Amino acid sequence: MVIYLRSGGKLRERLKPDVDQYTRRVEVEGTPSLNEILADLGIPDGLVAFAFAEGTFRRLDYRPSEGEIVTLQPPVSGG
Amino acid sequence: MDGFGGTTLRINLSTEEIERTPTDPEFARSWMGARGFVSKILYDEVPRDADPLGVDNRFIISTGVMTGAFTPVGSKVGFGCISPATNGHADSSMGGHLGPELKYAGYDLIICEGIAAHPSYLYIDDDTVELRPAGDYWGMGSLELEERMKNDLGEDFQIATIGPSGENGIVFSCITHDFGRQAGRCGVGAVMGSKRLKAIAVRGTKSLPVHDLKSHWKLTYDIIQRTKTHPNMAPWQKYGTAFFVGWSNERGCFPTKNFQETYHKDWEKIDGERLVEDCLVSDKACFGCWMNCGKYTRARIPGKPDTYQEGPEYETIALVGGSCAFTDINHVAYANHLLDNIGMDTMSGGSTVAFAMECYQRGFITKDDLEGHELRWGNIDDFEHFVRMIAARRGIGDVFARGTKGAAEAIGQGTIKFASQAKGMEFSGYDTRWYPAQLLSYCTCDIGAHHSKSWTITTDIELGRDTIEGKAAVVIYLQHIRPLFDTWSCCRLFWGELDVTPEEHVETINYMTGWDITLDDCMQVSERVWNLNRAHFMERNGGPGRSHDGAPARHLEEPIPDGPAKGKVVGRENFEAMLDDYYANRGWDKDGNPTREILEELGIGYAADNLEKIGLLGKPIPGGIPKVRGKKLKPKAM
Repeated sequence: MVIYLRSGGKLRERLKPDVDQYTRRVEVEGTPSLNEILADLGIPDGLVAFAFAEGTFRRLDYRPSEGEIVTLQPPVSGG
Repeated sequence: MDGFGGTTLRINLSTEEIERTPTDPEFARSWMGARGFVSKILYDEVPRDADPLGVDNRFIISTGVMTGAFTPVGSKVGFGCISPATNGHADSSMGGHLGPELKYAGYDLIICEGIAAHPSYLYIDDDTVELRPAGDYWGMGSLELEERMKNDLGEDFQIATIGPSGENGIVFSCITHDFGRQAGRCGVGAVMGSKRLKAIAVRGTKSLPVHDLKSHWKLTYDIIQRTKTHPNMAPWQKYGTAFFVGWSNERGCFPTKNFQETYHKDWEKIDGERLVEDCLVSDKACFGCWMNCGKYTRARIPGKPDTYQEGPEYETIALVGGSCAFTDINHVAYANHLLDNIGMDTMSGGSTVAFAMECYQRGFITKDDLEGHELRWGNIDDFEHFVRMIAARRGIGDVFARGTKGAAEAIGQGTIKFASQAKGMEFSGYDTRWYPAQLLSYCTCDIGAHHSKSWTITTDIELGRDTIEGKAAVVIYLQHIRPLFDTWSCCRLFWGELDVTPEEHVETINYMTGWDITLDDCMQVSERVWNLNRAHFMERNGGPGRSHDGAPARHLEEPIPDGPAKGKVVGRENFEAMLDDYYANRGWDKDGNPTREILEELGIGYAADNLEKIGLLGKPIPGGIPKVRGKKLKPKAM
């Protein structure tokens, strides 16, 4: 199935967007978790803090469905 | 003078003389604002033996070149002084609305000297500047006073206040504004209190002259259009910083029980999800910002009054929630309100209570020291009682009013080993034992340990958490680029997360001022400030420089006992090797002393002369100093 991963900042440089300036189309087999998808893409553990899909916080054990657009939130300092 | 309010105020609090001078264009261009202005003024004006809480210290309120600009976003104002926590340069900034209001009243900079004869507040209404008696404002909590002054003066005044903590000289006292924005670090609130200045009230109704308004407007419009649809904007708007608790915990850097551990097993009870679910009232934004990352919340605890506060944000959750081992987000939010209102930095305040809890755990302090109370991990009643002891300097509270370093020195018995601080200021909310670059960042930071000047957790992940290779140069780059935002006086979040480039900030500055500067010019200003602060610190505290960059023993020697980072520790040899690398990359000698060559290149040869007089000028580097200091980390593409 196909999902779409989106991000900006430093993560964008790792993601190599191919749909628009923030979005990468990714084909996956089965219904893997985001953790598994990120590992397959070679994104080191720790460079994504959490995900955001359909307006809601998702942990990285979330399993996206066909065609879903998932934003990857990089960790930041502060507050 | 385009881009600036145009006027500098100098107020002698002892004599109540108020002097207005035009802001010097050359000074403005050389130092750019807030952190930069503070650095230069403190260096030039404060006697090296001045007591930070005495008559000769300065208390500075400063806007920056971007304050009041809409390009994201000129909401900040800086406060500066010699810090009572570190005895060195202090600068601490806050968002909200005070900075723009000051600039719209026509003021770039306010330098306060002396000590007021009686408790006072500074009243500014455009051209009217007065010192007024504080009367019964003195003694009030920060948040209560802001509400009272809004009622007394008018809703359109912007107010900054200190609480009882600042009045009583607690070294980690903060300044509060906008019901939850703080200039939290370095004890700037204690210095404001030492001046007997309880509050600042400002109303500014003038306009800010902009050199090229049309271009400034167009750039701002383009950035708004671009960032409002940026994928990372919506999560920021909805969740703010509290949502990074789980990530930090899983990475083994979440301070737990005063950094004894780095994994909080009940983290889900105090994380951002729980905050939004249990406590969120509304979102909140600073001046001109469309991100509204601030979260206004309500804490509900049976038997206690409900409290309303901004936050807790990540740092407070880490250093109050994790480090004091709370297991209920309502307790963390309540503690946030308590510290805000009493006028303590939630970071150093949380850390100091956590340090005391460990002292209690180990028997170094007992119920006899605590007026019959206990000081148990995760107990909100014990926490509140102890905070009030500190604020009033009652009994052993007076010892902890000096922060973790001061308290450890007073208590002795090896407690300094678990005081997580550098130069007298407590660590931010990230354990460093698997993150050596972050340890280097804290220990070399010019204001004491603070993530805002260099945050390298993801750098450590990118370069490998078990290596020290190549990290010193990245730390130096970050120590120049990140404090630039404190100098420009604008929010950093749009840069890091929403792809607004530093070059766009510089473009804004040029449109505002008519200058023709580059990012490289700004980076040189930032490096100049860093080196001047280093020289100033050594002139005040002696040397060699290296002697001030030490790390707490816990972070060098004590392996993490459990969790994802189990067994990790930086090690003394690795840390010393990083310091060697850091000094070499900075153009300092191996003792950590700046050399004449670097100081002259940065246009502050006078600091070399002063260091030479006290025998602390760095020895010349064979082959000369590096041409470029610091290195930007380039993320690897997949």
